[in-house]
Amino acid sequence: MFVFFCPHCGENREEEEFGYGGEAFIPRPATPETLNDDAWGDYLFMRKNPKGWHWEMWSHNTGCRKFFVVKRNTATNAIAGSWTLSDGRKAYDAEGGAT
Amino acid sequence: MSEPVMRSPLHSFGLASQAKPIDGSSGVWANEIPHIGYISLRGDGRDQAFVSAASKALGIPLPIEPCTLATSESVKVLWLSPDEWMIVSAPGQANALCSRLELALAGVRNQVVDNSGGYTQIFLGGTHALDVLRHVSVYDFESLQPGRVAGTTLGKSSVYAFRQGNGYRLIVRRSFADYIWRYLVRAANPYGLGIADVPVDNLVGTSTASVNVAAG
Repeated sequence: MFVFFCPHCGENREEEEFGYGGEAFIPRPATPETLNDDAWGDYLFMRKNPKGWHWEMWSHNTGCRKFFVVKRNTATNAIAGSWTLSDGRKAYDAEGGAT
Repeated sequence: MSEPVMRSPLHSFGLASQAKPIDGSSGVWANEIPHIGYISLRGDGRDQAFVSAASKALGIPLPIEPCTLATSESVKVLWLSPDEWMIVSAPGQANALCSRLELALAGVRNQVVDNSGGYTQIFLGGTHALDVLRHVSVYDFESLQPGRVAGTTLGKSSVYAFRQGNGYRLIVRRSFADYIWRYLVRAANPYGLGIADVPVDNLVGTSTASVNVAAG
């Protein structure tokens, strides 16, 4: 069982209160109508699925109902931190935007 | 067309007729506190214009500190999220409060919705109230301080909980009220459950004369 820090509620809460929101910061194509099927399929379905550090979104379903960003190690389940979407974006970019 | 009536989601349990004063005969005391006004207020908590206008209309400062609640003689304002608050008031006041908020917030990005029919409140007290909450929720209710509100899970549903007096108040969705009540009754079984004559406070004691309440 994870314990997440919700950056909106400012409290540590149990995993049961949260829902998984998938990989974070997937860039939406600027001109989707010009994409071919392969590129559109990549955007919709292909994920990094790393073994190691992963930037992902969670939503505080039964609390504030907001999404936020968590950096979690998929191999050890260690959690490096959690941020609001905008703060998380800065931390993600500061790392070079990659895991 | 006939006038709308309020009917408690737990009316079929006939709780009011079983209520008795709290004493030492049961470990857990509970009851529904029906027919209270609930208003959903949304807006940007970082927008000073919104916060001051809403505070003025409510008569108390809008709580912008996460997980806190503000209480005045006539309303309780619960922080639910950075852009959402729940205003608990006497049922007859909800309409007037809505208009007052709408008027005060004109020109500011906001949403005011009367959700009075959508929620109900459960009182939970007695020496083993905390044990019951430990059975039904993952939240550490022992750490819940007066003046703070927690949105968390309760069984397969969700709840907004805060302390009041010697007990807890649980605000639950109408559609889950039946499930949650039965769940609490089952969790309280080892300690003995008494249906409490809920201590009257300002919100509960207010007359429901101005709204139509269904009989029975």
